[in-house]
Amino acid sequence: MSAVSESQDIEQATAAIQPPDNKTRRYDRQLRLWAASGQNALEASSVLVLSSSATLTAVLKNLVLPGIGHFTILDSAVASPADAGNNFFLAGPSSIGKPRAQEATSLLRELNDSVEGEAILKDVGEYLKTDEGRAFISSFSLVITHNLRKDTLDELSRFLWAGFNNPPLMVVRSAGFLAEFFIQYHEQCVAQPHTDENVPSLRIVRPFPALTKWASELDLDSLDPTEHGHVPFVIILVKAVGEWKDSHDGKLPSTMPERKEFKEHVVAMRKKIDEENFDEAEAQAWRIWSDPPVPNAVQSLLTLTPLTTSMSPNTPNAIFHALLQTLNAFVAAPNGPGCLPLSGALPDMRTDTESYVKLQTAYKERAAFEKARFKELLKEGFPALAPTIDGEEIDTFVKNAHHVRVLRGQRWSEWDADKEALASSLSSSPRETATHLALSALSTILNKTPDGSTVTVEALRTEVQKLVGEGVELPEEIGSAIGELARAPTADLPNTAAFLGGMVAQEAIKVITKQYVPVNGYCVIDMVDMWTGTICG
Amino acid sequence: MATEEALSNGNETDWSDRYYHIDQILDKPGPRTDPSFLAGEEVKRFLRETCKILVIGAGGLGCEILANLALSGFKDIHVIDMDTIDISNLNRQFLFRPKDVGKSKAIVAAEFIMNRVPGVKVTPYFGRIQDKDEEYYMQFNLVICGLDSVEARRWINATLVHMVDPDEPESLKPLIDGGTEGFKGQARVILPTVTSCYECSLDMLNKQTAFPICTIANTPRLPEHCIEWASVLEWPRVFKDKKMDTDDPEHIGWLYKTASSRAKEFKIEGVTWSLTQGVVKNIIPAIASTNAIIAASCCNEAFKIATSSAAYLNNYFMLIGTDGVYSFTFEHQKRDDCPVCGGQAITVNVSKEWTLERLIEMLVEKQDVQIKKPSLATPKRQLYFQAPPQLEELTRPNLEKTLSELVDDGEYITVTASSLPFDLTLQVKYD
Ligand SMILES: [Zn+2]
Repeated sequence: MSAVSESQDIEQATAAIQPPDNKTRRYDRQLRLWAASGQNALEASSVLVLSSSATLTAVLKNLVLPGIGHFTILDSAVASPADAGNNFFLAGPSSIGKPRAQEATSLLRELNDSVEGEAILKDVGEYLKTDEGRAFISSFSLVITHNLRKDTLDELSRFLWAGFNNPPLMVVRSAGFLAEFFIQYHEQCVAQPHTDENVPSLRIVRPFPALTKWASELDLDSLDPTEHGHVPFVIILVKAVGEWKDSHDGKLPSTMPERKEFKEHVVAMRKKIDEENFDEAEAQAWRIWSDPPVPNAVQSLLTLTPLTTSMSPNTPNAIFHALLQTLNAFVAAPNGPGCLPLSGALPDMRTDTESYVKLQTAYKERAAFEKARFKELLKEGFPALAPTIDGEEIDTFVKNAHHVRVLRGQRWSEWDADKEALASSLSSSPRETATHLALSALSTILNKTPDGSTVTVEALRTEVQKLVGEGVELPEEIGSAIGELARAPTADLPNTAAFLGGMVAQEAIKVITKQYVPVNGYCVIDMVDMWTGTICG
Repeated sequence: MATEEALSNGNETDWSDRYYHIDQILDKPGPRTDPSFLAGEEVKRFLRETCKILVIGAGGLGCEILANLALSGFKDIHVIDMDTIDISNLNRQFLFRPKDVGKSKAIVAAEFIMNRVPGVKVTPYFGRIQDKDEEYYMQFNLVICGLDSVEARRWINATLVHMVDPDEPESLKPLIDGGTEGFKGQARVILPTVTSCYECSLDMLNKQTAFPICTIANTPRLPEHCIEWASVLEWPRVFKDKKMDTDDPEHIGWLYKTASSRAKEFKIEGVTWSLTQGVVKNIIPAIASTNAIIAASCCNEAFKIATSSAAYLNNYFMLIGTDGVYSFTFEHQKRDDCPVCGGQAITVNVSKEWTLERLIEMLVEKQDVQIKKPSLATPKRQLYFQAPPQLEELTRPNLEKTLSELVDDGEYITVTASSLPFDLTLQVKYD
């Protein structure tokens, strides 16, 4: 067939195939990071920000673009000439004198038709003192503040901390080139951390029946050279481990010389020098001595006591704790594999199509079998809760069981009351701690004089000294930090705002989607020397 | 010469207190500011009236960069981008709206900025950076690069390094480069010939996964293998010289269908439209927030360099945002054998028995070289030329010869490629 006639066929050939819809195309580049489940979580979320500063509109921009469900700006301020100069989401001088939140809301909404946005022109401090205001604030998925007055912030953080069901609070502070943010939460349960430090087990040392059968029935000597060069490394290793155990009292290679000997044994199994599957088996031998039944980090979660005794479906993280406890039961079950359930994922390896597909099928079938056992245990352990849990949530949990995370947080500024902790952090992470203390000192001073007129190096140093306690020697990093703050105590610089806009939105996305791991502690930023660091984590 | 009074207003579009925030920085030094900083009107005048900055790329990073520069007080901004707007840009390229799909990124972005930030002039160029000559690049004080193409970055880097004349301080144009991938990114400051350059750090790039052709042809195991089969082997077989357009949904549709039927034949699961598109276009995930962080870092450096109001980054900031926020700031070292800024030849240790073809394969694979379709010559002879066709034919027999027949131990080979604006010099050493 000629190229011309075939190229005319392309239309017919693809007629039945529907390209993705506009929404999928619009979000394509982010769906590759957090998939439909993350996108659904974003679309179901509502975010409240308590100012329309340049920093917070930058945060909102980075949440509206990927498509959160709803945002509200609570801000009674009128746009000033200074606001019109540093905020991209105000319409320049024509916004001056108009309600800042309203101006920003309309320009932010232009970014994405599917996002709802509203401006509420109320003073945060006063609204927080009303029942209506408190109920309103706690109805969001997430609350974010920037340079909020210290006494209001204190009240807000105490209020939100007091209710276990209340939303997390993100506290952002910045002046000039220096900034920090903190996420106040009781607990974050991360079902899909997307970290690559722990790989799921392939069960080479605890083979399931299909693997054992394959390995034991395999007679390497009888294979022709092509077949021999296509035996998957997993099977080679299962076989080699079996042989090793038979000659070592059922023990695995553990010492360095034993590991070396084991690798030599694997290499000796090959027929020709260039069999890549055996090279791969040798290279993957680490899986044999790095395959605990449960990775350490997960082991400590199996017996973690939930922060609340309530296991109702409405309690935050109740389902996650039920899944963790079920995982514990699964590992302990006498008739189970004695380790985490199989994830079912199989990496690519040097083999032929048929062997790979056969192996993949074996892994999938086993994973399905173990997941069914897991679900039975879930039903036994949590008869009321189990029926309310989405099947996809269980799938995701089991697939990620080898690296799920639980982060426990603390109330905003609680750390600042712990003088010993501050002093120790000041010596272990001087620049980060110094910047944090300087920003705390600044907000204390600005609480009395918001225009910054009383901010001096001396005043800041005095406040910092009060925070760490008299008698604690202040390192030179304090000087660098307070000097910058005294220079620009009320500056919301466009680049610092944009940087924070990215950082804070990124963390908000992690908190909302429960994918990737959010910051635990104070994330401190210095844009003079351009570094970031996390303290109190 | 403008009077002091006119200056305090900047120009007619500046309103009082417009720069309330930035002027806190420009009116006095901080504890880490270099003594050469001229606080006050002089630095403001330079930033707002004299400084001319070039932004390369008006995409994910470029949109952010333009907005940040405009708010920072840069008023003479130029932007180059050869791309048009696609619907998949709208999740992060925030200067574009659905109605702009199909239009030039540079032009739409420039218009948007000028509408939103009064008094800022943005001059767009809808085309390739390679269209412009050294005289064009010489007019700028600074260059910021927000590109996703390695090749374009290598080109602008080599061009700016080449432009440096030690007797003319103005010929040294600081290059600020940003890049992102998912939750990760980096920003760096390059002072051509002074600090490490883009080429010096080529080996830091992630290696693209390339599937061996025998896997694709004979033993597919992953859905990606089936997609590669459709695009690398089937497309040219079926359509001969017809060029595949990865932006054409019909072409992607054909590849998807072809890959799906191969996957079905081999019982392989997981071929989807999205994966097909991802593999053939080599799509890198991208989100607004990471771009915002990296673009802000780049613009912050541009602001600090233009004003001397604070020390600038020396010279590399790397961010990984997947597990908390992890960043690393370090000085990337200049490479003495950098083909662009180093001056020394790259030494390659090879066996005498290697064929010329094997050497070429090694160059293509080598992380710190990354050259496509290279042509090679020694001072004495032409080893292999990719073009013109007569010369290619003439030199083709050399490909199968061993190196020792062609090149002496310690001899230099000059390597050229149409994609690179510079020559590589290799020194061959036999094992
Ligand atoms: Zn270099």
